[in-house]
Amino acid sequence: MTLSETGESRVNGYLFVLERSLGAFLPRDVVRDAVREIESHVRERIAAADGAPNERAALEKILGELGPPLRVAQAYSAERTIDEAVATGRIVPVARAVWQLAATTVQGFFVGLGLLVGYSVGLAFLAVAALKPLFPQNVGLMTRGGVPVSFGAQFPLPPDTVVVGGYWIIPIAAAVGLAILVGTHRGARRFLAGWRERRALASSGRFVG
Amino acid sequence: MSLDTWQEQLRRGGLDLAILLTVSTGPLYGLAIIQHLEQFTDLVVTEGTIYPILGRLTREGLLAAEWVEGEAAHARKYYRLTRAGDRRLAQMKADWRAFTDKIGRLIDAADQQGLVRS
Repeated sequence: MTLSETGESRVNGYLFVLERSLGAFLPRDVVRDAVREIESHVRERIAAADGAPNERAALEKILGELGPPLRVAQAYSAERTIDEAVATGRIVPVARAVWQLAATTVQGFFVGLGLLVGYSVGLAFLAVAALKPLFPQNVGLMTRGGVPVSFGAQFPLPPDTVVVGGYWIIPIAAAVGLAILVGTHRGARRFLAGWRERRALASSGRFVG
Repeated sequence: MSLDTWQEQLRRGGLDLAILLTVSTGPLYGLAIIQHLEQFTDLVVTEGTIYPILGRLTREGLLAAEWVEGEAAHARKYYRLTRAGDRRLAQMKADWRAFTDKIGRLIDAADQQGLVRS
């Protein structure tokens, strides 16, 4: 079946939505390959539908059997992002996988929230270590009337607040920040590995031994 | 767990094995794999979701993929079983047979006891 201009637009529209949806979670080269493969599938189906009396109905049937582009994209993302995150352990794939689970599952949302807090606190400690040499009077342990009230940076410093401690907070903040970041990242990887393991058990049938 | 969820898990559990079995017959492209699966099973609910599974099996080293140009109007991505895939398939077949045998015996035993009771 040779498609009319309208038919071509429908196919291109489907592929466009698929590409945009995949692009939210996957690297560009993976997206290109996936879209090429899906387009190959659609073109094969169209070629096989030669002689169909109604182009529109035939095309809708082909795309309907393929599934909505968002669903196909979701299946790609589910299969790909977690595998990459667990295999490489790099920050970007891990963040991408956690984001995807947070956006699509309740458990992922709460775990993602916890991990966000962990990464933020770790980065905040590192920021304190980096800012202390630049703003020694505004960064550190803050006390009011001799009582510690906060730890971090304040611009400007409230009049009744005093920053105590010297440059010794730099190595401590750096060490604590790094420890929290490493711990949080390990937690993220462990969570994703567990998720992947559960998925593998469900999809391989090994749960039935 | 609802019956629908259980059936979906069963379907997903069989899909990897079904795909590896299909590709074990020789190099095949996506649509040919889907058509083969549709011919023998009702495991393919949404065609588009087969491709991500093929991608995962490729990343796991069980399948190898290669684009072939010029065979049709559009390039086709062919999948073939790797040695690791061959080994995994043998193990999965043995596991599947052992499992279905055990469940089959359980079903037979339950049916027999049901008959005795009635």
